[in-house]
Amino acid sequence: MEKTVIELGRHFDGTGVQPEGTSGDYGFNVWRNTFPAEELPPAGSVREVAGVTFAFPAPNADGADNVRCRGQLVAVPEGRYDWLYLLGAAERRTEDEVELHHAGGTVRRSWLRMSDFWPETPARFGEPLAFCTTGLRYPRHTQAGHSPSIWQQRVAIAEPDPLVAVRLPDNPAMHVFALTAVADEESRCAR
Amino acid sequence: MRVDLGPAGRWRHDLSHCLHTTAGVLLTFHGLDPVRVLGAGWGFSHRPGDVRREEYFFPGEGPLFADLAPHHAVSSVWHEPADADSGWREVRAKLAAGTPVAVAADNFHLPFRPAYRDVHTNHLLTVFGFDDEAGEVLVADPVPPAFQGAISLETFTAARDSGNPIRHDRDMFFTANPIGNRWLELVVGPEQPAFDLGFVRHVLAANAAALGEGRVTPGLVTGLAGLRHTLTGLLERYEGDEVAVDDLFILGGAVLAVTGLHAEFLALAGRRFGMSGLGELARSVDRIAHHWAAFRIAVATGRADRAAAVPGLLARAERLLAAYEVVAGEMACLGTVAARVRVPA
Repeated sequence: MEKTVIELGRHFDGTGVQPEGTSGDYGFNVWRNTFPAEELPPAGSVREVAGVTFAFPAPNADGADNVRCRGQLVAVPEGRYDWLYLLGAAERRTEDEVELHHAGGTVRRSWLRMSDFWPETPARFGEPLAFCTTGLRYPRHTQAGHSPSIWQQRVAIAEPDPLVAVRLPDNPAMHVFALTAVADEESRCAR
Repeated sequence: MRVDLGPAGRWRHDLSHCLHTTAGVLLTFHGLDPVRVLGAGWGFSHRPGDVRREEYFFPGEGPLFADLAPHHAVSSVWHEPADADSGWREVRAKLAAGTPVAVAADNFHLPFRPAYRDVHTNHLLTVFGFDDEAGEVLVADPVPPAFQGAISLETFTAARDSGNPIRHDRDMFFTANPIGNRWLELVVGPEQPAFDLGFVRHVLAANAAALGEGRVTPGLVTGLAGLRHTLTGLLERYEGDEVAVDDLFILGGAVLAVTGLHAEFLALAGRRFGMSGLGELARSVDRIAHHWAAFRIAVATGRADRAAAVPGLLARAERLLAAYEVVAGEMACLGTVAARVRVPA
């Protein structure tokens, strides 16, 4: 498998990972809960989740560390891929299609299904658990024992033409922390 | 005196709020399955203008449990005691008579809620016992972080008697509505429908008819026509009236919950009766739930720039309503098919 980490920083518009002892303009969800940073990989570090390499997000210049999906067009290093893997979590489980833009102008759609980040809520769509912290951060405290999740999603790419960009859904309940494109010759041959 | 009607159920559906969760716990006390009872009904009925700042708000004609479970012989009565003392006496008497009840409570006073001593918000939970000597009350709240156990009567009373004021930033949607010691009594009839194919067929036909035969009157809107009327009206007000943001979010949360539960009901029926079509219909209904999940967050996050948010909200509302039309049609067809299916004993 050949894995290509996709740069997402310029699209980050949400602040979902919060260092201990900080306050300010954080808020993963509409209630302004966040994931405790000290329990997640260091910003910008490379981590493997269920066999796929991801770059755990480093806050961009605005301090944002995830994409709240609003139809952003994400450029992808041109190449033939079979899967898009994501680190993501939703505010209540949800689903929508991504649009896969291929060289030559072909556009294909593929489903992105994302489970809820909320504690005590299992994955709905069979996603592997990527990270789960022991507490959930609130604007003025951290609730211990209240454990939110980030999941690993997978989107199928069937079109053989090289992929050049991905349009995320206009679904702000979905949050994407990281994105990796994978070329998997073995699964391609199995078709 | 000590009364312990527990253990209380720990049922919760992932798309539900405290209303359906508490309803499920109370139904379980009566031997009723929450998915079969709360998931059977799927429609829309709403009194225009009646959206209350309560996490347990549910649009309908009332009584509350009759709206939650329209295909079963259940109902409910809200009690509004004059003060905290009478509020406890009434609840205690019910518990002493062997009946658990639900109470409204302000999370600010409940040590097991994340909002404890932080922000005020209007919640619902089950009470299933008390201990006079210890000065404790037994409560069940499966909403994460789930809790079941004793709290002091003093704490319990403070939560019920709260004025639920705004503190710090506003709780997004459920603050500034006094709790008022309200409590909810579930009324369960002696006969309940069996969970058989005849019942499922009835549910499919009745839900499809209610969605299709919706009406719009000044005092009540129902069915898909009522849902379209409500969404259209609130989205027209969305840009200029911040109240419409809260109304859409609160309504959307209630409809999301009942849609997810109906998908669960259909999936359960599909497995029970070996009808793959019911499983497929369940998937279609779940898709509508996922539209609602997207819609309500789009509503809430659009607050900062409401004018910019309107086109996306209108587009999502159209997709949502179109999906309802398709599914209501599938539902009517499947009800006809189900009428011809015989299930081996």
